[in-house]
Amino acid sequence: MQADTRPVRIAVDIGGTFTDLQILDARHGRVVAWKTPTTPADPSEGLMTGVREAAARFGFALSDVGLLLHGTTIATNAVLERKLARGVLITTAGFEDVLEITRHVRRDIYGLAPDPFPCLIPRDRRLGVRERMRADGSVEVALNIGDTLARLAALQPEAVAVCLLHAYANAAHERALRDAIAAAHPDLPVSLSSEISPEIREYERSSTVVLNAVLVPVVRAYMQRLSARLGQDGFSPRVFLVQSNGGVCGLDMAGEQPARLLLSGPSGGALAASRIALELGRPNLVAVDMGGTSYDVSVVQDGAVSIITQGEIDGLPVRLPMVEMRTIGAGGGSLARVQAGGRLTVGPESAGARPGPVAYGRGGTEPTVTDANLFTGRLDAEFFLGGAMKLDMGATRASLERLGAALGLSAEDAADGVLTLTNANLAAAVRLSLFEKGLHPKDFALLSFGGAGGLHATEVADEMGITEVIFPREPGTLSAYGIMFSDLKQDIARSRLFTLGDAALPGINALLSELRAEATARLAREGMTAELSVGVDMRYHGQAFELLVPWGDVSAPDATALAQLAARFHAQHKQRFSYAAENEAVEIVTLRVTATGRLPRPEPTPPTRADRAAVKGTRRIHAHGAWHQAVIWDREALGADDIIEGPAIIEEAFATHSIARGWTARLGAAGAIIAKRDAP
Amino acid sequence: MTPVDIEVIRNALTAAAAEMDVTIWRTSRSTIVRELLDYSTAVFDADGWNLAQSARIPQHLNSMSAALRTLLERFVPAAEWGADDVVITNDPYCGGQHLPDILAFRAVYHDGVRIAFVGALCHHIDVGGLAAGSYASKATEIFQEGLRIPPVKLIENGVRNDAVWRIIGQNIRKPDLLLGDLTSQIASLEMGRAAIARLATRYGAPAMLEASRRILDMSEAGMRAAIAAMPDGSYEFADQLDDDGIDFGKPIHLRVKLTIAGDSATVDLSACSPQVQGPTNATLASSNSAVMFALMSAAGTGFAMNAGCYRPITVIAPEGLVVNARAPAPVAHRVAITHRLLNAMYGALHQAVPERIPAAYYGCSYVTTFQTIRDDGRRDVLVEIEIGGSGAAPHKDGVNAYASGMHNNSNIPIEMIEAQMPLSITRYALLPGTAGDGQFRGGLGLVREWRMDAARCLFTSNMDRFHSAPYGLAGGGAAAPGKQMLLRDGQATDIPPKSDNIPLVQGDILRLETSGGGGFGAPTARDTTTRETDRRMGYV
Repeated sequence: MQADTRPVRIAVDIGGTFTDLQILDARHGRVVAWKTPTTPADPSEGLMTGVREAAARFGFALSDVGLLLHGTTIATNAVLERKLARGVLITTAGFEDVLEITRHVRRDIYGLAPDPFPCLIPRDRRLGVRERMRADGSVEVALNIGDTLARLAALQPEAVAVCLLHAYANAAHERALRDAIAAAHPDLPVSLSSEISPEIREYERSSTVVLNAVLVPVVRAYMQRLSARLGQDGFSPRVFLVQSNGGVCGLDMAGEQPARLLLSGPSGGALAASRIALELGRPNLVAVDMGGTSYDVSVVQDGAVSIITQGEIDGLPVRLPMVEMRTIGAGGGSLARVQAGGRLTVGPESAGARPGPVAYGRGGTEPTVTDANLFTGRLDAEFFLGGAMKLDMGATRASLERLGAALGLSAEDAADGVLTLTNANLAAAVRLSLFEKGLHPKDFALLSFGGAGGLHATEVADEMGITEVIFPREPGTLSAYGIMFSDLKQDIARSRLFTLGDAALPGINALLSELRAEATARLAREGMTAELSVGVDMRYHGQAFELLVPWGDVSAPDATALAQLAARFHAQHKQRFSYAAENEAVEIVTLRVTATGRLPRPEPTPPTRADRAAVKGTRRIHAHGAWHQAVIWDREALGADDIIEGPAIIEEAFATHSIARGWTARLGAAGAIIAKRDAP
Repeated sequence: MTPVDIEVIRNALTAAAAEMDVTIWRTSRSTIVRELLDYSTAVFDADGWNLAQSARIPQHLNSMSAALRTLLERFVPAAEWGADDVVITNDPYCGGQHLPDILAFRAVYHDGVRIAFVGALCHHIDVGGLAAGSYASKATEIFQEGLRIPPVKLIENGVRNDAVWRIIGQNIRKPDLLLGDLTSQIASLEMGRAAIARLATRYGAPAMLEASRRILDMSEAGMRAAIAAMPDGSYEFADQLDDDGIDFGKPIHLRVKLTIAGDSATVDLSACSPQVQGPTNATLASSNSAVMFALMSAAGTGFAMNAGCYRPITVIAPEGLVVNARAPAPVAHRVAITHRLLNAMYGALHQAVPERIPAAYYGCSYVTTFQTIRDDGRRDVLVEIEIGGSGAAPHKDGVNAYASGMHNNSNIPIEMIEAQMPLSITRYALLPGTAGDGQFRGGLGLVREWRMDAARCLFTSNMDRFHSAPYGLAGGGAAAPGKQMLLRDGQATDIPPKSDNIPLVQGDILRLETSGGGGFGAPTARDTTTRETDRRMGYV
């Protein structure tokens, strides 16, 4: 990319309620944040409003903006709300129903009135075409398009997905179909499974390409609206969109492969986590984002966010690389209930925004986690959302008294119980995210963000034996901060089976140089130079699931490189699954190349301190069965020499943090607060 | 301990079962375990009662406790069970279910006190016997069904018993796959053990034992409250299996008499058919699992599913019946009995709680086994278990092709099968017209076709519901029965549902059509727009 001298870069994260902006102006190096309401009908409208407001407020011209990094849930929301294009799916004849048959297995084993698995293209819009590929890529039945085009036209599609059996091994029939459709309908977008997700397993590949196809018109329409706004008043930055894989891509790529944007929500938080890992010199972080309804856990190991090769949206598999995130239904709005047999449960049912917690006074009667935090003194009824919203302590108390009565406990103990159970559930999610990779909590620091995360962080860390908790600044808009420091990232993968051994070297080399060339070319289209890294999906012969083994920037591997790869696989298998089988045949199933194009990385200057007293006062908080006096601190006024000893509360405009007994917190680098467990 | 501590421990035990589940899923080798997902994991208290389950297979989950209790009472007393011992068995007459299911258990100790057991059950691809897949439909004694592994310490004091390992490997068709899957099972036990040990380090052994007791007591209380909410009375229902594969056309009757009295339920199975010659028999542990599952699913939610739920339920089933077979009766197709027993239980429960119980699901594990033999003699085995449609619920349509009732399998990707053995799938589709009509329609069954690409192939199938159709409820229609045929040289020939080692040649196509689910409510009450949609979608 040619040097851009325009000084301002803007990262924007469009959420359901607010559009968050982070603005970095290279002329003084400061990062500033701005928030404006999201405009769901056309999110680019709110984006532009936010940009204009920020320009006026922080004193830059729209023509100063050289780069716009755009996180968007437009694809995600379109799927969740089913505002999708009218799609047609073309399959190998005889397999039109694979999309509806799915993989069968049910999740609620005791349920008696199940809902069908979601299916985005109904049976009357699925067309079979005569053709057949074999698993080795040979043609068994030549493509016979027949009346497919006429049937297609009759269905009046807005988008077409093509998924033929074994197309990952030979894409010729899928490409021929696309050419034929393009000749008849030049403007009809066609997505091929061999281009979107060329990997074995027909249902997962179908699901991915169907999602892509029905999103193309939706995402392109948004791109057009966005592009129309570019150029107004000199606002003409280069625009990149955040993908699910923790990187960004250009508008053309996003318009062709919108499925890559589907799970981009977590990318911002994960990018922020890896940025903070760098800023604070903490290469191993487990990042937790707690809001009103959910708790998201992601892992940064050796400075890199962990990536998986398949995820899911609304029950639909997406076979594409994405940031690994574990989500559980636990948030401030989670409901505490007493179940049959006297069990206390918290969540996954949530009071949501309406009625919300009892304390909001909007008609909620069942206590939530937020109510327990209020009643035990962790939240201040007078300073919720910086004082913008008053909380109803009386109603909260009554609801917890009712809960306690059903358990034979006082209201205090019931509230403590709700928090203990919540913290245990949160810790279990964190633990599973680490243990399933064979990692140990003691090697990690906990990075806490989201509106509700800070209330639970030190106690969750205690549950797990984690001894350091990091509270980054502006925890409510952290995703936008992460997006600010993203890079271009393109993943290219191809499934081909090799048995690991020197005999496979020529084949591996040939495929690898093909993938490397393609990855380099893709970034060249964006005017960027690519840094390449290779990953390999490997398994023992007979296994169905592969481990993704990193192979560095290998370009022409020899026997030594192959031996190193094998050793890494055995070690990873042992770490993850408690055993390795060094004498057994190892297979390569998929080769992956990731191309990264580094965007210039400006260094922000540290934030400034508010000129007022750091201590706001004290209040009682209930913990471990007793009331304690806790000091209340003002985050914006904290200085480097303030020492915060738990139990203490740190308040800021959109979040409150609790420092538990046994923890001491101080201001650290980049405006983060760092809490450490006292030596026992 | 407070209710909070109990719930924290219960959640952690469930997480341990889930961690064990993931370990097997990710490391197993055979298509039946890794793709079809025919396995389960669970955590038990120090006496062998089920405390927490993975979300896998009901047939397994509610019988593993019986297996472990049998091992403890009759074969490996707890005092002789070391911390680093793994005990396995597959013998239905020593606590198992049928021979392909190998159960593996390990005890968990803390400070020298036994605080729990962890268990994993895998349905293995083959354990020998007269047909590949060990699902022979013509066996008349268990000795024909494969290798019987009595309860034995496969691992003792952390050391693998290589003699047992080699005996297993020598007697089965795909030793690399089975022994690989068995390794995954053992790895999952270690994952589960470590998770529970971490918990015990924090709470201590006495607290773990108290929590176990109270977790079971709470579920018992929940289950009792649910039963008490059902109207008292006796409810009878009968359903039937086609036959045992030996006495053709002689139906096997599953007759249940469910009595709800206060907060307890009694299920009398005395009127079921006597045990049969063929492998359509079940041990009592298998049958109990269907009865428990029926009542637990009908009881609704709010309490944890574990062995505490079993306590309010009494099952009466004299030995010598198909629901309580006596050795050495063959039992490979025990799931045929439990599917049908579940259908019968739901028929009875419909009379007690009509607003909750769906019409009959397809009620059969469509087990097909192909052993391909290439020109060079190489043999591969594929075991597939297909499904049909779910029964219509009282307020909504059934689901097309939905894994229901006693099993909960995934299917095997076509591309995986074709990449690994000389077999092709030539069709996989929903089958219109297979569902029962009604105000609410049943889910559709499906059709799957396999083409032989190897010179030779031996085909074995073990299934049911080719004559007796899944019933409708409240005036809803029955679903279509299943069908199976051989397509050779343009001719279609019906193949009986219980067939062993049928020789197939290159180019033959085997076609299976499965049942849909029954309908609920009178067909005349079905909404006309919904009928129009059914027609447009080609569902009818």
